[in-house]
This record gives sequence, structure tokens and C-alpha cells, in this order.
Amino acid sequence: MPSSEIVNQIGLSHYLVLSAVLFMMGFLGVLLRRNVLVMMMCIELMLNAVNLAFIAFSKFSGRIDGQIMVFFVMTIAAAEAAVGLAIIVSIFKRFREVNIRFFEHLKG
Amino acid sequence: MNHSLLMATLLLSPFVGFLINGFRYRKNGPNLSGWLATTAIAISFICSVLLVADLVGMPVENRRIAVSFFDWLTVDKLKIAAGFVVDPISAIMILVITGVGTLIHLFSIGYMHHDKGVAKYFAYLNLFVFNMLILVLGDSLLTMFVGWEGVGLCSYLLIGFWFTDKDKAAAGMKAFITNRIGDAAFLLGMFLLFMTFGTLNFHDLNQLAPTLPEASWLGAATLGTLLLFIGATGKSAQIPLYVWLPDAMAGPTPVSALIHAATMVTAGIYMIVRLNAMFMAAPNTMMVIAVIGAATALMAASIGMTQWDIKKVLAYSTVSQLGYMFLAAGVGAFGVAMFHLMTHAFFKALMFLGSGSVIHAMHEEQDIRKMGGLKKYMPITHITFFFGWLAIIGMPPFAGFFSKDEILWKAMSSPLGHPLLWVAGVLGAVMTAFYMTRLMALTFWGKSRVPKEVHPHESPALMTIPLIVLGILSIVGGWLGINHAISSILPGHPANVLEHWLGPVLLEPSLEGVHQSMTMEWALMGVSVGLAAISAFVAYHFYVRSPETPQKISEALGPVYRLVSKKYLVDELYAGTIINPLVAFSRNLWQHIDVQVIDKTTYLLADLMKGGGSVVRGLQTGNMQQYAMYIGLGLVAILSFVIMR
Amino acid sequence: MTADAFIFWFLSLVAVMSGLSVVMMANPIYSALSLAMTMVSLAALFATMGAYFIAGVQVIVYAGAVMVLFVIVLMLFDLREETKAFTRGQISGAIKLAMVGFLAGLVVFVLTQGVKLMAAPDVVDAAKLPEDSSKALGLILFNRHVFGFEALGVLLLVVAVGTVALARSKGGTHAKQ
Repeated sequence: MPSSEIVNQIGLSHYLVLSAVLFMMGFLGVLLRRNVLVMMMCIELMLNAVNLAFIAFSKFSGRIDGQIMVFFVMTIAAAEAAVGLAIIVSIFKRFREVNIRFFEHLKG
Repeated sequence: MNHSLLMATLLLSPFVGFLINGFRYRKNGPNLSGWLATTAIAISFICSVLLVADLVGMPVENRRIAVSFFDWLTVDKLKIAAGFVVDPISAIMILVITGVGTLIHLFSIGYMHHDKGVAKYFAYLNLFVFNMLILVLGDSLLTMFVGWEGVGLCSYLLIGFWFTDKDKAAAGMKAFITNRIGDAAFLLGMFLLFMTFGTLNFHDLNQLAPTLPEASWLGAATLGTLLLFIGATGKSAQIPLYVWLPDAMAGPTPVSALIHAATMVTAGIYMIVRLNAMFMAAPNTMMVIAVIGAATALMAASIGMTQWDIKKVLAYSTVSQLGYMFLAAGVGAFGVAMFHLMTHAFFKALMFLGSGSVIHAMHEEQDIRKMGGLKKYMPITHITFFFGWLAIIGMPPFAGFFSKDEILWKAMSSPLGHPLLWVAGVLGAVMTAFYMTRLMALTFWGKSRVPKEVHPHESPALMTIPLIVLGILSIVGGWLGINHAISSILPGHPANVLEHWLGPVLLEPSLEGVHQSMTMEWALMGVSVGLAAISAFVAYHFYVRSPETPQKISEALGPVYRLVSKKYLVDELYAGTIINPLVAFSRNLWQHIDVQVIDKTTYLLADLMKGGGSVVRGLQTGNMQQYAMYIGLGLVAILSFVIMR
Repeated sequence: MTADAFIFWFLSLVAVMSGLSVVMMANPIYSALSLAMTMVSLAALFATMGAYFIAGVQVIVYAGAVMVLFVIVLMLFDLREETKAFTRGQISGAIKLAMVGFLAGLVVFVLTQGVKLMAAPDVVDAAKLPEDSSKALGLILFNRHVFGFEALGVLLLVVAVGTVALARSKGGTHAKQ
């Protein structure tokens, strides 16, 4: 049985472990899923995990700079999602496919 | 005047001429380039005269003008400066080089007037004089060697001047390569002398030479001087490296006059005279020099008797006369060698220029069988050539008599001499008289065999004035060295100017204890002059009065005649034993090693690279998720490494 | 278990489960909705940590705008033919799984057993973080990071224009149809 301290005292490591788990799940999704859109969503998941880590650091060090960082990350992630989706829409219009299996043009 | 300034002007004036004509070699016309070049050498001549005049005014014990411009090399013990020395020996040389050089440049203006590459020609000629001056004025073996190589280069450039003709280009190559072989020996000699004495400076070497105890064949002095002598045989066309000089007649005639008669070929003699004390310390080398000199004199003279090209006759004559100079040096008569060098420069340059005049008049015909009776068409050329002829066969009071006779006398009377050497010298003189008279007879005298289309005419003044000046010098030049015996019977007892000039600076074999009989001197003189006169008369009879006689004789001597006229097959011998095997060996090397091994190895390496590249290319599948996996794997590796540490 | 701890464990469970659904679900719409759920739970976590403004922005922007955009685009594609969810290649899939698992294990190991991350005991110290975090955030954002803020604005402008240009009927930068 885990000691009560780990269960009751929520420290920085808890949040960081959660962040790591979420990040690795997102990474796995990027590696394994075929649908381009789902891959994009997994990338968003990774970014969220990172945001969590930032906020956790901000809280436990008492400095507000972590939240500033999250602010920026969020904005840029949103912008990146928008552009990425626009590109995917163009690709779909051209190739009628969203399966990355068909997009190996960098071969050779 | 300031000696440094004079020396610098002396050396740099021809170099500036070379630069100007060289950079503008397409634009400068014959007159501009010719007069520019001649003026450059004339300036050098004036500087030489001024320097020598200063030298004359100096006391006898210390007759040296030494100028050092900058330190050239300083490596450990080797210290060479760009230093130049005018002393009595080099004084003679610079006067001859610049004086005769000016005359030859003047002659060339007329001779090369119609040639397309005139400016290039004069540029090369000026460069040659520059290098020759470095050679004679340099104060160390290395500085001399710079000039030595430089004149070899210019000789190659000028011999192969009309390089579009393959044979002429080949002649240039032959000269250069043969010279190079000599140069290799020269370098080895330099190395040996430096190792032994620790210096290459002439002054120091001459001071240190007598301190050597040994005189055996393997001693440093003997080996070193022997190697230097082999270098001299290359440059001064002695056995075994003389083969390039007859072929060098492919170049323009003034080049033959300047380089292959008056100046470059005398460089070997000059070098030996410069190092007189060193050579005196190696009596074995001196013997070798004397023997080779005598042998060359004989051999070349015999070949000269069979040649039909006017320039080839003169070429073999040059080789023969150089043999005389080496003979003199070999018996220790360095001053006499220089004397003959000077007189030979006068009359040989004169005869080469004269032949140039003849060739010019005969529209580039050089075969003397097609000449004859030219004396009525070309009086000035004939008269000057006549003086040269009398000089070379050794008729008093012309220049050649005094110098050649001194050589023969020293061959007999010097402590290092030998009667056989005298016999060889006299034999050579007899042959010289024969073939030179033959040349005169077939070219100028007798019936004209000139083909009808050719209208020979006298050359313009630009070409005849140098001939006249050289003709005068061929008469009076010998009067600088009137030996003791003759001066005793002349009114006023003229002194031997040359002996007084050169004596103090040369180490010659001491004459004490050797009986010098004046009677013997007169007797030997009479014998050699008499034999030469008889030989000349015989040749005159053969070639003017009854031309069938020499033909009958040559047929009677059949195989011997053929051997001699084919130059004793020496060229063929060299080709067969040395050149062709080397070429075949090189060809084999190329085919088997270069093509099969080296080229194949580089192709192999290239193929390996290509193969490796296409293997690595397999990593690029275009599958983005695979790339992400690689990133992840890398991350795992790094993290594990960091954590495990 | 204290109340704070319970909230943490509950929210983290929700986040992990929905995160797993994002990765595992075959239907992309289900993945999108799971991602939205993850984001909401993360927002709640932010709120528990005192980052109220950030929590609000997370819900409004991320879950409210970005995810809606994803769903719109998903609906644009008619994906009936989609059969397989995961990339083919069993071996590479196994390698990837193993690798990610190992990496996660490494990171967690370092975080829990390794170097002490903070000098002070990593316990929440309520006195340290300013209570009114939004005000503090605003002050610092517009004082120290104003240049970055303005740059973000330019970025968003560019992205807006670019997205419209990209997603037109012909797409790209064609001047005419």
C-alpha cells in the first residue's frame, strides 16, 4: 500500500508525473494513429501536458512567470492548430485522403 | 661612383629589358624591342667598364669589389647572401659578356627583323644576359647555381624558339635535359663541399682548400670537384654530355653566337677557374679534366671535318675549343684558360655571326655544298670571317695564336702536364686548321655552286658593324697575353697584361725546380704553327683546286668516314642504352601501376562511397511516424545514458 | 484522504482516462470529445492550483474554440471508409509502445526517486503565490512581457490571414479562381 504521505500530501512530483504520463500518451498517439487529425489532437494533448507542468512549477516556486509561459504556449498552440487544420483541409481537397500512409513524398 | 649602384644597374638593366619586352611581347615591333634590348646591355657594358676601371685603380693585393644586397638564406650553418663580387677573373667575364653581348644584340636587330616573335626573342636574350651575369658575379656556389640554372632555361627557350617545328623543340629539350643531368652532379658536388667545409662562399672555399691533407680519389675535395666538373661537362659540352651542342644549332644564329660560343658554354671553365685553389687541392680531378679536355678536343675536331652544315661545323669547333680550355685548366694554367676563353669568344662569335650573315643572304640555306664563291657577293662578311679563320687556326699575330699556343706550351711544361697531352693538342690544332680551311673554301672561295634562284647579297650595316668590331678584336685581342718568349723579341718588350692581371688571384702550380727552356718553347711553337699551316694548305688544295680528292679519300676510308660523319654514333648509343630503356620502363610503370593499380583503387573508393550512400539512403522512408520513433529512441538513449552515469 | 488530495486524484484520473480515450478510440469524433474532456479536467486542476485566469482561458480558448474547430473539420471529411485506426506494421508498433513505456518509466523514475527538484520541501505553500493571480499576471504581462504580447498579436493576425488564404476553394495563393 502506498504510504499515506504520497496519497495525502500532493507535491510537485505528483503534478509532474501526471504531466509526464499525459505527454507520453500523446506521443504514443502521434506515433501510432493513422488519421492526421487525430495526430494533431494528440499533439494538442502533449502541449496541454506541458502547460500543466508549467503551472505546477509556477505554483510551487511562487513565481508568476510559469503562468505567463502558459499564456504564450496556449496562444501559439491555438494559432498552430488553426494553420495545421487549414493545411489538412487543403490536403484533403487535393488528395481526398487523411491517412498518412499516402503521404510519404519525402521518401528517398 | 657608388659600387652598389653600379652593380645593381649592371645586373638589373638586362632584367628590366626582359620585363618590358616580355610584358609587351605582342605589341613591340622589331626595332623597338631590338633597340631597347641592345640599350639595356649597352648600359650594363658601361657599368662593367666603370667597375673594372675602379678595380684597376685598386692595389694588387686587394682587387675586389664586393657588394651584398640582402641576406638570402640563413639556415643553421648555411648563410648565403645575394652577394656579387667583381675581381680580376669576373672582370674579364663581364666585359666579354656585356661587350660581345651588345654586338650580338645589335646584329639580331637586323637578323630577326622579319620574325614574328621578335620581342619575345629579345626578352629571352636579355633574361639570358641577366642570368649569366648572376652566374659570373655570384660570390657563392649557390648564387652561381641560380645563374647556372637560369642560363640553362634561357638556352632551352632560345634553342626551341621556333618551337612549332618539332625537331627544333626536341633540340631544346635535349639541351635542357642533358644540362639537368650535369646540374644534378653539380648539386651533389655542392652538398659535398658544404658538408666538408661548412661554406659555399668562393672566397672561403679557396682559403680553406689548401688545408686539406689528403689527395686520394675518395677525398672530399676530389669527389666534390669531380662532381662539379661533371656539371661543367654538361654546361660546357664536354665528353660525355656534349651531345646537345650540335643540336642546339636549331636556334637562331645570334643565339648560337652568344650562348653557345661566347658565354654560356664558358660557364664551366669559369667555375673551375673560380675555385682554382680547390681544384689545385685535387690533382686527380685535374688529371681527369685535362684528359677529357684533350679527348673532347680531338673527337670534336674529327667530327667537324665531315660535316656539311655550316653551323654544325662551327658547333663542333666550339666543342673542340672548349676542350682546349679544359685542357689548360686541367694542367693548372687557369689564366691561360681564361685567355683562350676571351679570344675564343671574339673569333667564334664573329664566325657565328658571319655564318648568320651568309645564311641570311642564302635565304636560310645552311648546306655548304650549295655555297661557294661568296666572297665576291659579301666582301665584308668574307673579310671578317677571314680574320676569324686566321685566329682560330692559330696564325700569328692573330688572337688565337697567342692563346692556343700558350695552352700547348703549358700542356707540355706544367708540372701537371704531359707530353701526350701536347701531342693531342697539336693533333687537334691540325684538324682544326683543316676543317676551318675547308669551311672557308667551300663557302667563300672557289667556284660558285649557289643555286640560280638565290641571289646572295651583303647584309645591312646593322649586321656588318658587329662583324667588323669583332674582326678587329680577333686581331688585337691576343695582344693582351703576349708570352715571355715572344715579347723578348718584340721591340719595347710588351708585358703580359693578362698574366699580371690574373696572376695574383690564381693559385697555379709552382714552377720552382722545373726547368723552363725558352728554346723548347720556340721549338714547340714552331712545330704547331707549321703543322697547322701545312694542314690549312692541304685543305685549300683539296677543296679549291681539286675537289675530287677529298671525295676519293672519304670513299677509300669508307666505314671509318661513315662512323666519323655519323658523330661516332654517340647519340644512338645514348638512345639505345639509356633513353629507350628509361622510356620503356616509364611506359610500363604507367600502364601497369598507374592505370591498373592506382586508378582502380580510386574507382574502388568512389564505388564504396556510392554504395554506402545508397545504404544510408534507405533510412529515408518518408514515413513521418518512423522519424518520430527515431527521435524517441534517441531520447531514450540519451536519458538512459545520463541517468546511468 | 484530505479534500485537496481527493480532488487531485479524481481530476487526474479523469484526465488520464480521457487522454487514453483520445489515443485509443477508433472514431475520430470520439477522440475529439475525449480531448475536450481532458482539457476541462486540466482546467479544473489549474483552478485548484490557483491559476484562475489560466483555467478560464483554457476552457474558453482550448476546449471552446480549438476543439470546436477540430470537430468542424472532422465533420467536413466524410470518413466512412476509415477502417483501421492504428498504423500498420506490428513490429514497429510494438517497438513504439515499448519505447514510449520505457521513456515514461524513466521520466517517472527520475521525478520520484531522483534529484530533489526544489530546494524547499515541495509542499504547497499558500502564502507564497499571490492570491489575486489574475491581477499579478496582468501586471507582469503588460509590463515586462509587453513586447511578446504584441508579437503574439501580430502572430494571430498573420495566422488568421494565412488560414483564410490556405483554405479557399482553390487553396494557396492563387490570385484568381
